[in-house]
Amino acid sequence: MARDKIYSEEEFPTPLMQLWHNFKQPPVVIIGFGCFLFLIVLAVLANVITPYSSVENHLDHLLLPPAWSDEGDVSFLLGTDNLGRDMLSRLMHGTSLTFGLSIIVVIASLAIGVVIGSLSALTSGIKSSFLNHFLDVILSIPSLLLAIIIVAILGPGLENTLWAIIMVLIPQFIHITRNAVKEEFAKDYVLASRLDGASSIRILRYSIFPNIIEKLISQATLAQSAAILDIAALGFLGLGAPIPMPEWGAMLANGIDLFYIAPWTVYLPGLAILFSVIATNLVGEGMRHALKVRKEN
Amino acid sequence: MLLSACDSNEALSLSKKSIIYCSEGAPESFNPQTVTSGTTIDATANQLYNRLIEFNPIDNSIIPAIAKSWHVTRDGKMVTFYLRKDIQFHQTNYFSPTRALNADDVLFSFNRILDDTHLYHSVSGGKYPFFQNAQFVDLIDNIEKINDHTIRFQLSHPDSSFLANIGGNSSVILSKEYADNLITINAMQDIDILPIGTGPFKFKQYSSGAFIRYEPHAKYWRGKSELKQLVFDITPRDTGRLTKLLAGECDVIAYPIAHKKIQQHPNLTLESVTSFNVGYFGFNTRKPPFNNPLVRKAISFAINKQAILEAVYTGQAEIANGLIPNSSWAYDASIMSQEYSIPKARELLAQAGFGDGFVMDLWAMPVQRAYNPDAVTMAKLIQADLLKIGIKVDIVSDYEWSTFLRKVSEGEHQSVLLGWSADHPDPDNFFSTLLSCGSAITGSNRTFWCNNEFDQLIQRALQTNNINKRKVYYSKALKLINEEVPLIPIAHSKRYQARANHVKGTLLRAIGGIDFNGVTKN
Amino acid sequence: MLIFTLRRFNLFVFTMLLLTILSFSLSFLFPGDQLVNLTGQVNASPEQLAILSDKYQQNTNIVSQYFSYLTHLFHGEMGYSMTSHLPIATEILNRLPATIELTSVALLVAMFVGIPMGFCAAIYHRKVPDNLILTFAMIGYSIPIFWLGILAILVFSIQLGWLPSAGQISLLFEIEYVTGLQLIDILLSDSEYKWQAFQDATRHLILPVIVVALAPATIFVRLARSAMLEVLDTHYIKAANAKGLTFSQIIYRHAMRNAIIKVIRDVGLQFANLITIAMVTEVIFSWPGIGRWLIESIYQRDYTAIQGGLIVLSSFIFIVHIVTDFVYAALNPLAREPQHGA
Repeated sequence: MARDKIYSEEEFPTPLMQLWHNFKQPPVVIIGFGCFLFLIVLAVLANVITPYSSVENHLDHLLLPPAWSDEGDVSFLLGTDNLGRDMLSRLMHGTSLTFGLSIIVVIASLAIGVVIGSLSALTSGIKSSFLNHFLDVILSIPSLLLAIIIVAILGPGLENTLWAIIMVLIPQFIHITRNAVKEEFAKDYVLASRLDGASSIRILRYSIFPNIIEKLISQATLAQSAAILDIAALGFLGLGAPIPMPEWGAMLANGIDLFYIAPWTVYLPGLAILFSVIATNLVGEGMRHALKVRKEN
Repeated sequence: MLLSACDSNEALSLSKKSIIYCSEGAPESFNPQTVTSGTTIDATANQLYNRLIEFNPIDNSIIPAIAKSWHVTRDGKMVTFYLRKDIQFHQTNYFSPTRALNADDVLFSFNRILDDTHLYHSVSGGKYPFFQNAQFVDLIDNIEKINDHTIRFQLSHPDSSFLANIGGNSSVILSKEYADNLITINAMQDIDILPIGTGPFKFKQYSSGAFIRYEPHAKYWRGKSELKQLVFDITPRDTGRLTKLLAGECDVIAYPIAHKKIQQHPNLTLESVTSFNVGYFGFNTRKPPFNNPLVRKAISFAINKQAILEAVYTGQAEIANGLIPNSSWAYDASIMSQEYSIPKARELLAQAGFGDGFVMDLWAMPVQRAYNPDAVTMAKLIQADLLKIGIKVDIVSDYEWSTFLRKVSEGEHQSVLLGWSADHPDPDNFFSTLLSCGSAITGSNRTFWCNNEFDQLIQRALQTNNINKRKVYYSKALKLINEEVPLIPIAHSKRYQARANHVKGTLLRAIGGIDFNGVTKN
Repeated sequence: MLIFTLRRFNLFVFTMLLLTILSFSLSFLFPGDQLVNLTGQVNASPEQLAILSDKYQQNTNIVSQYFSYLTHLFHGEMGYSMTSHLPIATEILNRLPATIELTSVALLVAMFVGIPMGFCAAIYHRKVPDNLILTFAMIGYSIPIFWLGILAILVFSIQLGWLPSAGQISLLFEIEYVTGLQLIDILLSDSEYKWQAFQDATRHLILPVIVVALAPATIFVRLARSAMLEVLDTHYIKAANAKGLTFSQIIYRHAMRNAIIKVIRDVGLQFANLITIAMVTEVIFSWPGIGRWLIESIYQRDYTAIQGGLIVLSSFIFIVHIVTDFVYAALNPLAREPQHGA
């Protein structure tokens, strides 16, 4: 039995709800979002659903082309590489490395960036100006060079490249948080709660964050597509994931030597990277579009 | 319009008469006396220099070169060389020779190596690995100039590999006149940096790590090359070389990958030459746990050589039972390769007290060589093999080739994938160079294994000319290696090369790498 | 304009200060001995090290050590490469021009392609061309650079055989080093194959430039598109429209200029990104630039090189920033006024 509505209630959706409402409008964004969810599921379940281990060598099946080619074999749907490792399994495991880790990286740098950014928004004067210039300097160093320097300090390896990419991404989050918080602080409702005697931290926590969260999420999607590309680029350059790991960039680098005899070892990891970056960018695009629509209304 | 048409004709003639060879690495020096790496030999030995005697490319017999003839006394202790009189040194912008080659140059070239008080002895570090491995200092009592074109070597004892060593890649003849000039301008180190030789090509320009430019030697005694330029384009990446060949940016490439692709291509030729070599997996026997022979032996049981042969050599090589390839007369078919047996490996490892395994590093050479076309893939296979007996392997492979060699000869590694291509056909070249105590000091013995019994065996083998006796000694030595396992021989392979069809002439030699003398383009 | 210049100069000094502090502290952070990292003298004997330690005032406090480092830097001494044992300054001088050549041509291409496309998208807002251009921008922005480079080589060098795949020029041509900028050096040289060399160098430039330019071009598309949309929404455009000016008059005479100024403001910011892309591209196309050198330096653990590369590359980027700021200010008088928060 449905509950009768006694009052004609007007619903006030939360900012996130509004965002979702506007977000799901263009169909292409929904497709992108679907792909994004699919990748997350794959990243989580990779260990369970892959047909083979990512490092198992099938020495009787070296360089098998994908199943749709004449020499292919259905049991290795996307073929094998030069050590007889199943490409499909490696790509699936790679999802949790390249794509999965990019999410972790973004969350970590988002958290650190928001803390520093909001603290800096509360300060002013020399300290603030110093931080601003410092960020400018860091942002003017190419991200890859910064990552290389951090890798040079920490030594190569997947974990260290993740730290490097986190550090590369932090400045932009500081930047955007700082500006957004400052902007909100100037608004009247903040003044109202200030007059009520709320502390700065309380204002941040209850008044400002709910209002800037979509901005941060939108920046996070941008950062994530950059993170995927950076993890893959460092893997490609041999500075990231160590040798047997099926990280997409590293797989691609491994495939280059086989390019002319087994082109699928280059095409497939590249497509995987492209696919995940496009999915991420579509989600981000939808988000920004939704934000804009909401602002216009 | 007219102008540009004219220009393109000129340039056509430039690229038509020049050869770009995509080589796999940068040379360590421009003097093969001081290094033995194949990359350096390729870039120097046959291009810039000549030796007293050389090897016939077909049957590896000794043929005349700078020496038009030679004579060995019956006791084998005196060797006389009679030199040609028409051999000219290179004329370059840094040196103009005033005389032809004579006995002084030969004397200078060898005394520099043998006499440690010689002015030039320690100019480039004073290491002459090839000659130290062949123990020339002990062997040669005296070198005597009989007249301007006759020179005599006095040996302390007969040595069956002496002539082969004199014909080896490192025994090149330098110019004494050039060396004297350098002393007067106080630039002695230039002798190995700006080389002067008698070979078919002269040095023009070297851009460190990028390319080497040669020009033909106009007065080459075997006749001037028809080429206008010879460029070594240093391209360490395998795919990079193949790409350049397919795109027409290289005429010849070293160590091609994807053989099938080249064979299918209408304008390209894949060629190979049987090469005296061995690819091995060596242990640094000075570092624990590899100072324990049991551990080394355990690992030798855990390596699936057949799988390596399929994946790395695409089946185009033979499994190495011992150090020596079966094309050598010292090959002993009765010596068997260690079987592949994980349980045995585990058992031995437990005996050695490493039942729980350990972590080790494995240095995989960063370039392709005939004996190991893809060390990184091989390392990955070994990594997977050793994981089965609980050993975790970290692969080290990102150093540039000359840095890699330097670090390995300084013993920074725990284990290494390397190999050896012979300088000359005598089997001694494998034993002395790779595993003798003397070579552990010079650094060409990358296992640092030093075994007196082994050293005595190879010494005795050198003191007789009787092939059957030598064979017995070498068999014993091979067995000793399989017992002690300072290294695991993996495979003997052919050396491959690919070229565009418009390049004519014989390039590859079984001994001594590549030779552009007489190569033309049309 | 004077105040504007002073502010930029201030900013430049401050940035260089931070950069040098950062690079100086790297010598402590990198593994190994600090003095060796700073000077690159890996094979130095104890006596030589003692002399060096004196030169770099190692026994004094950290501040005067830093100032001693600065003095050396001002004299162009950045130590020696740990692998090639050549002075870092020489190594960089040999390679930076190739990177400048590649990135500046790519930046121009990206602007000349990206900005008109962005304008076009804005003019046809929410119509077919707009969607097409946005799709292109999305894909161009998402494609991994190293993969694109490999595909470009496969298609244009191998299958079609149109363009070379590696290097800056065919090695057959001997071009003397004058400015380091290959195209200019060729024109200055007196080689008999001059024009042939010039053509060859141009052909070598095409593929890497396209690969480097793609991602920045898509960013310019977005920037130009939103700038144009913003301008088209302003009152003066509406007024012009009301006055009865034709659409093309409005676009060419009024909207375009103002939109371009907005885009130019962001060119500097894109440059750091462009350098990152160029570094990877240099590796793929064996381009003899500073990016490839830096990446190889890390393989060789050549810490002195990384330190020097950081200083030079970052100051290069920063200089481009400032130059675009000046161009922007020259075009847009409003920007010369002091801004808040800048």
